[in-house]
Amino acid sequence: MNDDYSDLVELGGFYILSQRYDEAIKVLRRAEKIQKTDPKLYYNLGIAFEALNETGDARDAFRLVLKLDPDNRSAQEHLDKLIEE
Amino acid sequence: MRQFVVIGLGRFGSSIARALSEMNFDVLAIDKDEAQVKEMEGVVSQAVVLDATDEKSLRELGVQDFDTAIVSMGDTVEDSIMITLTLKELGVKQVIVKAKGDLHSKILKKVGADRITIPEREMADRLAQSLASPKIFDFIEVSETYGIVEMVVPKKFANKTLSELNLRDKYKVSVVGIKRKIPYSKPDGSTDFKEEFIVGPGGSDEIISGDVFILLGRNEDIDKIRKL
Repeated sequence: MNDDYSDLVELGGFYILSQRYDEAIKVLRRAEKIQKTDPKLYYNLGIAFEALNETGDARDAFRLVLKLDPDNRSAQEHLDKLIEE
Repeated sequence: MRQFVVIGLGRFGSSIARALSEMNFDVLAIDKDEAQVKEMEGVVSQAVVLDATDEKSLRELGVQDFDTAIVSMGDTVEDSIMITLTLKELGVKQVIVKAKGDLHSKILKKVGADRITIPEREMADRLAQSLASPKIFDFIEVSETYGIVEMVVPKKFANKTLSELNLRDKYKVSVVGIKRKIPYSKPDGSTDFKEEFIVGPGGSDEIISGDVFILLGRNEDIDKIRKL
């Protein structure tokens, strides 16, 4: 995997843990331009959107995770909760 | 402990009986359909096959000793009216009745129902409200002019303390609580969050983007914040 890509994903995770969700989304979107096949990227994107209560975008991100990794239980749980809301 | 009697175990009645039972209330569930009653056995305190239009049977069962009765008779409008009248005559303090529509509701009021619910309409109103104001998750009417709402905090409030926001003076609303997502790192390197509820937050509490306010205030003042 590309170094820049890994750095961006890691930075996205750092921003999420710092509760800076808008910044997390920005860097994760930059990472997405490099690589679109990593479920972890979309999972973290889903978490950031969900934390901001942007449920439509969060649902889209978790659906992408499940497309890439159908057995991802965490993504399924988040998606189920968002659909129930 | 409060005691509830649920009469009519269709979809609505059985759901309410189950929910009250899960909250550890004493629930007596009644229906004339044996199959419906059987499904509630073991779920509620007592489930009984009985024709609730029969006053004598209701009295013998001791329904008059219950604090609240919930009448959910499905399509049988006449039965729900008869049962409501009987329950009030027996002296049940609070009788809540599921109505089919406005006319049914009007008659139920006349025979003494304490509260009437039209679940489909209430659900539709709630859904319409949430679609019209996606930032508002829930609304509780306190009076005609006051309410408590659960609302996503406007982005411009982020990174400011409650003192700095001074909502009480500027908008005449009180922040009763804040729901916040607390992120954490998972072993596989991804992230997740758990929800935290801050009750009665203080002036030094800082708002984070994505927080949800529980606000108490006049509806028109809450509306001003919603539009920010």
